[in-house]
Amino acid sequence: MKKKTSSRGILFKVAAILLLLIIAAVMFVIGRGHTVYIDNKSIDYNGETYKAYNRVNVYVNGERLAKLGARERGKSVNIGQEFKMTIEVTREKGDEAETLEDLTFKLPYSWDGIVINVPAYLSNLPQEVWMTEFVAQTTEAPAEEEVNTDELDEFTLGDF
Amino acid sequence: MNNKPSVGKRALSFLGDNLVPIMFIIICAVCIPVSGFSASYLINEIVTRMGRNIFLILCLLIPIMSGMGLNFGMTLGAMAGEIALILVSDWQIWGIPGVVLAMIVSIPIALLLGFFCGKLLNMSKGREMITSYIISFFFNGLYQLLVLYMMGPIIPIKHSSIKLPRGYGIRNTVSLLNMRHCLDDALAITVGGVKIPVLTFVLIGLLCLFTVWFRKTKLGQDMRAVGQDMDVARDAGINVEKTRIISIVMSTVLAGFGMIIYLQNMGNIATYSSHSQIGMFCIAALLVGGASVDKASIGNVFLGVILFHTMFIVAPSAGAKITGDSMIGEYFRVFVSYAIITIALVMYETKKRKMKSRLGLQLQADQAAEEAAGKAGAQG
Repeated sequence: MKKKTSSRGILFKVAAILLLLIIAAVMFVIGRGHTVYIDNKSIDYNGETYKAYNRVNVYVNGERLAKLGARERGKSVNIGQEFKMTIEVTREKGDEAETLEDLTFKLPYSWDGIVINVPAYLSNLPQEVWMTEFVAQTTEAPAEEEVNTDELDEFTLGDF
Repeated sequence: MNNKPSVGKRALSFLGDNLVPIMFIIICAVCIPVSGFSASYLINEIVTRMGRNIFLILCLLIPIMSGMGLNFGMTLGAMAGEIALILVSDWQIWGIPGVVLAMIVSIPIALLLGFFCGKLLNMSKGREMITSYIISFFFNGLYQLLVLYMMGPIIPIKHSSIKLPRGYGIRNTVSLLNMRHCLDDALAITVGGVKIPVLTFVLIGLLCLFTVWFRKTKLGQDMRAVGQDMDVARDAGINVEKTRIISIVMSTVLAGFGMIIYLQNMGNIATYSSHSQIGMFCIAALLVGGASVDKASIGNVFLGVILFHTMFIVAPSAGAKITGDSMIGEYFRVFVSYAIITIALVMYETKKRKMKSRLGLQLQADQAAEEAAGKAGAQG
């Protein structure tokens, strides 16, 4: 009888651990954050130049995220593996704006920052041209940071 | 014969039992008008702080139930929560999924720390509070070793925004910008200008329900029995040591969750100091609510948070208005926090001694009566 109870207990524990692992795995996928940069910049590919547009309005979740002139960049933070946006493109000054709704992009899991080049994307260039990994440019060596492991000052509580 | 105590005695006993909350109500009643804060501002602040702190304070109830007093070792759970949040930040899991993942990651760390703490507390029965207080310092050293030297070379940390420029160790502050208020803002409603973080309160409500339910379970009853008398509980067949370890482990795991809720509200982790004072403030808040070392309820938690934080909010401003120096208010609230813990501990010891001497006198009187009855019987 006791054996039955203990084996049931072990089963219950294993099931609980499995459930937690599954939830953790799901969180890993649905919670992965990416910073998406939307570029309206000219790009050279195979000796041809794809020119930046006169104006690109970017909408995410129904709200205007950026109003990009030529050579400008917008930024959006996105949670999950899919990024959706709607863009309004005015190709040349005086042209009528064309709207491209619900453009969906699959974001590479391992990239923290992703750059999407709108002119390259709309010119149907290969994905590796219009979607690239964002790498921050650092010109200066980072300043050393002094670590403060002391307890809080006895006479201040900070915020609580 | 009427054994009912007089009204005066009852009033005195009520005052004695609720001295700390009454003192706080008076302090708040004086400071609120002086501070000059509007009612809506005060309520907004208090509601925010309730959402931020109540979960953490609720984790103190289980060890009190099992007679282990105020668990200063909850700091260990807070460390587990912080380690989990640092890892999750580096893995770039944001929003509510980040909070859930941090909670899951904190569980094994808190289980391990809680188990060690429980084992050590079993070796120092009767001195649990001071032991748990010192354990938290001991583990703080281990935490610093882990965070300062092992994160980077042994535990992979990728992002330079988290890692120190020297290549290992964690920065003084880790930003939780992409998690900030994610629980508080989800399902939040605004009533009369006061933002109510519904999801956070739902989590708090669930923990309250769990605590109420848990008291009625076999394990909960065992804990209460252990808390009342360990020898009697042992004679009744309860595994006292195991029950005490479980209560500390549960408290540590819940403290880890509470710390994650607390930090998502704050929006950043002060890597080397966020956890250091948390136990002290949670315990102070619980005691302000009228709890004692051996008795605490959910009501004490709520009342404590409201009173303690009202004092926290209004004291600096009231101090500045009364004395012209805002630091006076700051000193005052620090002084009050520590004083409350001291008063509560002294009152607990005094009550215990009084009870002991009363029981001794009762026993003496019973024995004398028995002897007198025996003599009378022999003479008859």
